[in-house]
Amino acid sequence: MVTDALEELGFGTLSALDVLGTQIELFTAGEGAPLLFLHGIDGIEGAAPLLRELARDFTVLAPSHPGFGTSQRPPDLNRVDDLGYFYLDLMDTLGLRRSMIVGSSFGGWVATEILTKEPDRATGLVLLSPLGLRTADRREQHVADIFMLSRQELNARLNRDEPALSSLPEARLRRAMRNDEALSLYGWTPYMYNPKLADRLHRISCRTLILWGEADAIVEPAYRNAFAAALPAADTSLIEAGGHRLHADQPQALAARIAAFAVG
Amino acid sequence: MIIWQFTEQAYHPAFQTPGSMRVTLPQHLCDPAEAGRLLNRYLDEYMLADELGLNIMVNEHHAAATCMSTSCMTTLAILARQTSRARLLALGIPLANRSNPLRVAEEISLVDTLSNGRLEIGLVKGAAYELFMSNRQPTGFMDRFWEAHDLILAALTNQGENFSWEGEHFHYRTVSMWPRPIQQPHPPIWMTASSAGSARGYGRLGYTCATFLSGAVARSVFSGYREAYAEAHGRQPGLDRLAYLAIVACASDRATAFRRAEAMKSYFTTAARLDPQFRNPWGFNPVEANVRMLQAGPSAMRPRMRNGKPVPVDGSIEEYMDAGLMFVGTPDDVYEQLARFNEETGGFGNLLMMGQAGELDHADTVDNLTLIAREVAPRLAKLPEIPLDMRYEAVG
Repeated sequence: MVTDALEELGFGTLSALDVLGTQIELFTAGEGAPLLFLHGIDGIEGAAPLLRELARDFTVLAPSHPGFGTSQRPPDLNRVDDLGYFYLDLMDTLGLRRSMIVGSSFGGWVATEILTKEPDRATGLVLLSPLGLRTADRREQHVADIFMLSRQELNARLNRDEPALSSLPEARLRRAMRNDEALSLYGWTPYMYNPKLADRLHRISCRTLILWGEADAIVEPAYRNAFAAALPAADTSLIEAGGHRLHADQPQALAARIAAFAVG
Repeated sequence: MIIWQFTEQAYHPAFQTPGSMRVTLPQHLCDPAEAGRLLNRYLDEYMLADELGLNIMVNEHHAAATCMSTSCMTTLAILARQTSRARLLALGIPLANRSNPLRVAEEISLVDTLSNGRLEIGLVKGAAYELFMSNRQPTGFMDRFWEAHDLILAALTNQGENFSWEGEHFHYRTVSMWPRPIQQPHPPIWMTASSAGSARGYGRLGYTCATFLSGAVARSVFSGYREAYAEAHGRQPGLDRLAYLAIVACASDRATAFRRAEAMKSYFTTAARLDPQFRNPWGFNPVEANVRMLQAGPSAMRPRMRNGKPVPVDGSIEEYMDAGLMFVGTPDDVYEQLARFNEETGGFGNLLMMGQAGELDHADTVDNLTLIAREVAPRLAKLPEIPLDMRYEAVG
């Protein structure tokens, strides 16, 4: 598999990992204890600012989820529940028995799907603006429907400077289109959640930290309560001047927080 | 060439509201009594088309002021009883947006029996923005389309025992059509294409291939169809396998015809009013198609005029005529324009005619349909067949 050069990830290595026949794009950087980073709706490239900081303390392992970036997706893998099992296979492939797991936004949902299946695979779990629990109750929406937003509006809410898609080099454009497609596959309906997850979260037994951006323009404050209720032992805090993409908005503060959490 | 009367059955009073005409337009702007009057009026015009010897085409859309028909089969169920001669074309049923294809097959059977075998069925991909109303999964859209197609065909044509269906997307314990369709093995099937590539697929299947408001592109659509049809079936397809959709505004004098065309042009300007994020939901188009589309730029999909430039959305009647999207004038003018377009595209047997569009009122629609049926249709029926070797040398 050919992975594209991603200049923002120049501080580490992009390589291909074969997970039981599925080629996965894996970014690795830094030294130290292993940390599995599960990206959000903006792909591994969107998380570059945080990964750079984390690489000072950890061996960062950041795969592109199946269907994102240049990662392949097995045809029948189409639920985040399936991603949970897939990542257990990926950890086995890497020989990673236990690791710090950090998931942002959509990746936070993925992290919970892994650990509700095999709770002992994490030394600690950090969820950054996680999705995965019921995002709406009938007419009341707790998470903005990103599929209904214009690109401009979405970028504004994500605090993201995205160049016009038509101006991107072909490989970057293809990544963007693959990321959109994969997100639609996993999150179109039910919108960005697994109805079973709330009743499974009690299985997560490792130390857990949940961080929310105070200025998150995607997730409403009421949604935080659902995670607090489902993971009562978790530490929860608000990050000032952070939006939904905490990993891009507050990379240094976040990395320091994660490093401190990791040592306990 | 035969003619099919078609109207989108717009709620045109909403056209004055600024902004999008679909998905986000709030329903409180619809006066249901006015909607009822308009829908009955459009049905009256379809009945007139039947009396005049024209055929009938009905479509459907959802959450749109531009089209109030939300179910082609419901509208056709009415027309099945209220008309007597016209062929009744549903173009089309947005298959991959339907959660229950067995229900689609049942409705087809019901209308075919009600109409004594006058139904023709278009199975279409549908408008991308309607995924927001159907909420069906955007990814795998065409896989779902073809499985629904296979199931519907199996249901309509079944001569044996009832069967069960365990597919990738659809699951039924027992499939049994009561009633089953009159037309055997099944009513004629239509599909729509805007490129030679998709037309080739339909040519292989032998289905009728329609292209909508595509101007010069119609020629490549039709030639793609012909090539694939000839390869698969060992003979050229009949002209009845090819169809083109356009607006026709006809009157005894040109000034009136152009006034009518102006009233119909709001079809184009309102259809264009849709927020961009609804045009192409994430995951709907294959990745490579999106890459090509974004690289080609937004005007690549616009129909083009003879000088190669895209027609502006708010283009003049003359520009829309030049691109082959509108045919406007006296019966002689309209006949000549259609005969020329027919020749340029290599020939097609079905004109899907928007004889009502946009804000064209009832009296003008009645006169438009009557003139076309009496003075244009008989001449189109006798269009000389274009020799095959000329087809690929035509301008366009």
